[in-house]
Amino acid sequence: MATPFQHGGSSGYIGDSIAPTGIPATAGQRRSSYASVVSGAAALPRPQRAGAVSHLLNPSNDSDMSSLYYNSVFAGTRSSRFNVAARAGVDSSGDENGHPWPPRLGANFPWFSRAYDLYMYGDGSSFGAGSDDGFGNPTPNSSLNFLSPSYLRGSVYLQKLEDAHKRRLLAEREGHIAKTQAGAGLSSSGNTHILQTSKLPPGSHRGVAFELVEKPLTPEDDDVTTPLPSRWNKDDKDAVLEVIGDGFEVKYTGRSSSDHEACAIRADHYMSSQCGVYYFEITILNKRKEDTTIGIGFSGRSVALQRAPGWEPESWGYHGDDGHCFASQNVGKSYGPKFGPGDTVGCLLNFRLGQALFTKNGVQLEVAFRDVAFKDPKTRLYPTVGLKKPGDHVLANFGQVPFQFDIDGYMKRQQKMISEGIKSADTSKLAPPLNETELIQQLVLQFLRHDGYVETARAFAEEIHAEKRALSLDPADAIEGINIKDDEDANNRQSIRRAILEGDIDQALEYTRTYYPSVLTDNEQVYFRLRCRKFIEMIRKEAELNLLLEKKGLSRSFRPSAGEDDEEMFEAGVGGGNGEDEMDTEGGVDMAGVSKLSQEALAYGQELRMEFRNDPRREVSKHLDEIFTLIAYSNPLRVKEVAHLLDRAGRAAVAEELNSAILMSLGKSSRAALENMYAQTCVLLEDLREGGGDGAFVTVQGIIDEIPTPTLV
Amino acid sequence: MSSLSAAFSLEALDTNPAIRDLIFAHLRENIDRMTSSASTTTPAKHAFETRVAEVKAPKSDINALILDYLMMEGYPKAAANFSKEAKLQSQHDPSIQARQKISQAIHTGNIEVAITALNELNPEILDKDPALHFYLLRLQLVELIRGTNGGNNIIPALEFATHQLGPRAVMSPEFLKDLELTMCLLIFPHESLDPQLAALLHPDLRRQTARQVNEAILMRTTSRREAAIRHLVKMRAWAESSARSKKKDLPDHIELGLNSGDDNDINLDKNSHDPMITT
Repeated sequence: MATPFQHGGSSGYIGDSIAPTGIPATAGQRRSSYASVVSGAAALPRPQRAGAVSHLLNPSNDSDMSSLYYNSVFAGTRSSRFNVAARAGVDSSGDENGHPWPPRLGANFPWFSRAYDLYMYGDGSSFGAGSDDGFGNPTPNSSLNFLSPSYLRGSVYLQKLEDAHKRRLLAEREGHIAKTQAGAGLSSSGNTHILQTSKLPPGSHRGVAFELVEKPLTPEDDDVTTPLPSRWNKDDKDAVLEVIGDGFEVKYTGRSSSDHEACAIRADHYMSSQCGVYYFEITILNKRKEDTTIGIGFSGRSVALQRAPGWEPESWGYHGDDGHCFASQNVGKSYGPKFGPGDTVGCLLNFRLGQALFTKNGVQLEVAFRDVAFKDPKTRLYPTVGLKKPGDHVLANFGQVPFQFDIDGYMKRQQKMISEGIKSADTSKLAPPLNETELIQQLVLQFLRHDGYVETARAFAEEIHAEKRALSLDPADAIEGINIKDDEDANNRQSIRRAILEGDIDQALEYTRTYYPSVLTDNEQVYFRLRCRKFIEMIRKEAELNLLLEKKGLSRSFRPSAGEDDEEMFEAGVGGGNGEDEMDTEGGVDMAGVSKLSQEALAYGQELRMEFRNDPRREVSKHLDEIFTLIAYSNPLRVKEVAHLLDRAGRAAVAEELNSAILMSLGKSSRAALENMYAQTCVLLEDLREGGGDGAFVTVQGIIDEIPTPTLV
Repeated sequence: MSSLSAAFSLEALDTNPAIRDLIFAHLRENIDRMTSSASTTTPAKHAFETRVAEVKAPKSDINALILDYLMMEGYPKAAANFSKEAKLQSQHDPSIQARQKISQAIHTGNIEVAITALNELNPEILDKDPALHFYLLRLQLVELIRGTNGGNNIIPALEFATHQLGPRAVMSPEFLKDLELTMCLLIFPHESLDPQLAALLHPDLRRQTARQVNEAILMRTTSRREAAIRHLVKMRAWAESSARSKKKDLPDHIELGLNSGDDNDINLDKNSHDPMITT
């Protein structure tokens, strides 16, 4: 499938038209800077994938990144390219139920039709207008594509691959930015991450909302981030075979050779046990019915490629000519039906159970192989096909398009088995003598106290107390109460948090200097973040005021910034300029307020720039560049690419960073027991993920995702 | 070591190399013992703990867990305060007040009040869940019997059992068994019951029934049964026991940190008149 990482040209056009310093000297200049942005944007082709890119960058879309990508990609694709697809024979009604995937096919097109290539790579235009963005051609091998098979979505493994992919993209883009000295606008993700340095312990990072994933604990470990098999490896095949198309098709092109019993090819990567379950399919494309001899299976890296999978040690396979399966020896056993042209055959490796099985045309066959070696993370097995006759021709699906077999359902059944075990877990040993209910009450209460939610802690203690009193059988029993005393420190931290959450950074700085004088000097990065947030709040205030004015003064209505249609969003972004021009004449008195605000913001921005001018850290200057980009927009709230910088979620992140810094300075644990429990569970699952164990099928994130997202007010 | 005492004279130290060696050996031994005991008193941090420290536990997740818990398990005041203090907007759940009221009624043993309130909220819940209805009525019978110990009038309890529970108990053998067990409470003195019967009189039965009712209402309003934090706690317990059974390298005890550090002050407030609970 396609991916939002396909670099939208939209980023380029913004950055290129802004002066590298980012800050015009006066408000007057700001107008001209803005104008140049508009004209520059208008001159460049329209970014088709703005939506997809902003999903990538918008930290508020944190909970289910993978599905977001998926939808956003589709949303992005539909308007621009779905028409092409429809012309090519794909029935565009596939998304009528709100789920764009899988699209329904026209009768003329089998699933492996090239019509689907549109979803995979798109045409040149999908890579954005900025053809000079340094990313080269959209080839299938481009690192811009991210493979995300449906059944692995939500897994930690896929999340890690995605993170690694993101980092790679970012690195590429940064390289590009360094070269051109422009485009400070879009790379929020990396900066904020890098900014979390020293002082605070690693666990106290509360930074950016999108970093919700259970992080790779051992990023160096090969197995943890080994990519998924994605195409046939043209450097790991018998010479007679030819890899054609985008790397999914293999064809036997030579003449029949008596030297070779068969010719095999392996995929580019091995199947990581981190998946828990791995699945791929092949479809036999031979034109002639007779003379098809194909085997599907998997093999180790060193297995000879002159024999069909299953005949050699460390290889396993299912052969279409006789329907037998072979486990590392010449003698097979009768297994399933034969298969030939037009058939789709799948191969499924269940690491957790140490089993492999096959499917034919979407129907699951019995277990073919049981081998404990499958569970061993050191066993590295590659998807393999063996072809024997000239004209043999297969096309593989490594998850780039939907599978014939209901692998998602299979995966869900695996997950269900494990959830049953979790449901019946004995929680009484976690903190004896507390039972589950009491333990949870204590976890919650301790967290509330620890993090300075004084009023909540008090109300909660009262409610627990009332509950205990009600449960007591003898009214004479004295029920022990919990006295949440007026904790000065908790109150202080609470008022600092409140100030930040309300956007009043000055107030928060003042409180912090008063109550905890050393914290800001000892934690320079926290201080820097607060100062930057203040600038953002100024811009935000102005932008909100502008929105208000537009509503009052203009008949033309704009979609809110959460608008779904990319193209309209884009127009709204440009149209905002007209709005402001009109306002110059119509806005009257109110406009003065706005321009005063923006002048203040500019002055403050320059002050900020001066203060950190000599800071050697690259991430500091990068972050400054990034937030100064906001000035370039008449109303950044309505421009998807940057609106996330203004998001209220950023306040919470800064507030928690500061709270952690204060707790550390007081010599208190930066974490409450509930947070420990969260982290411990992540690590335990990581251990259980080894060799494709139970931990590969469940995540802590899955629990968090059960909760309907609470929104910041 | 008689030779040691002799060695403590300086002359001997000078004159007798054998004794000197003995002393040094002795000293060395002592020093070794001291250093080795020093190293065992401060064991190195287990690799597991280091890894845990590196995992982020995002506040946004934790806050979501807390708010979800307060809403789901019916702590409306705390929930309201928390959404204010953390500036979080919760899913509006109009049933939270009613749920708390019902739970409270069950906790205090006022089952009739609870049933009435539950029917006001949504009569379908009991209609469509005969088991839940039976458990509530059974608890009501327990509460009636509770008052009879020591020879009070047992007629109301008997009548309630015959009219309310009897017709329902025949629906399932399990109900019937529960009813018979409960009726035994009328026969035996409550002070010397066997554990199975004593459990019926324990307040945990109230708590458990209240939870069942709460979950039934939640399934109706949110189609989720339990707060997510319960799943986290269960997953943590499950993951530890699975990892231990798979012989993963773990510390002997994984500390949650409920009683550590900064919250000691809960117990230290001596001036307070209210007794306080720890942990």
